[in-house]
Amino acid sequence: MTDIRELLRKEDVRSISRRYFISNGFDGTLTSIGVIVGAYLSGVPDGLTVFKIGLGAAVGLGTSGVWSVWEIERAEKQAEIVRIERAMLTDLEDTKVQRDQVGARKVNAVASGIGPLIGIILPLLPFLLHGIYLSLLEATLVGIAIGVLVLFSFGAYLGSISKQNWIVAGVRMGLAGLVVAFLNLFLPG
Amino acid sequence: MTVPIQRLVLDLLKPHEPGIVEFAETVAACDGVEGVNAVLVETDREVQNLKLTLEGDAIDARVVEETVEELGGTVHSIDEVVCGERVVEQSETPQDR
Repeated sequence: MTDIRELLRKEDVRSISRRYFISNGFDGTLTSIGVIVGAYLSGVPDGLTVFKIGLGAAVGLGTSGVWSVWEIERAEKQAEIVRIERAMLTDLEDTKVQRDQVGARKVNAVASGIGPLIGIILPLLPFLLHGIYLSLLEATLVGIAIGVLVLFSFGAYLGSISKQNWIVAGVRMGLAGLVVAFLNLFLPG
Repeated sequence: MTVPIQRLVLDLLKPHEPGIVEFAETVAACDGVEGVNAVLVETDREVQNLKLTLEGDAIDARVVEETVEELGGTVHSIDEVVCGERVVEQSETPQDR
């Protein structure tokens, strides 16, 4: 079993995991904003129901994130092993190279699954406070704000690792949340 | 009777990963190996060619070769072996000039 810390030190493992995490986290957050705005506009009567609907989306996107990346990376890493084996004229089965590839695939898949879970669940949390501290409209607005903040964090993080202005990069990503919330206002019904 | 190997020079091929540092460290951790020198001879698109010089008081060539293979490398050739109670350098002959 390859040491997870050793894997996380490898730039290619981190880079691929980062992409899946942010990409699926972005999908998850926008889905969550769509769900909470849609639920409010459709007249869902209580916050717990909105939360449960959102959890369904989290399960779906989380599973999709893990499963798809598991299969994508199986194919990509197998293709890489075949390329190396062809160049080396040897079998790399049961070597450190092959074990590292399997370990890297696990890290990629977990990162891909965690992204949408964070992106979906955080904006849903205000709905648990419905009836205690917040009305449905307030929970929706706070949820959108949390979603935009999550998107801003993703953007700021990408900006910081690529030496861009992290505020501008964060605002660019956060804007997507507001666009989705705005577009939902034009849903039929 | 086993005669201790004190120096082993290997010509080997390996994938880019694990890197040369990890490769040298892992081979240096083999029993009987006291020091390793790893030199990058050539880099190709998928593979690297290394010259690995190992010194120690009792190097087990079989274990070293297994370690190299475990890391995904293959030993192309054993280019130098120094064994016995003391280190003997090759002596110069007229053909070497």
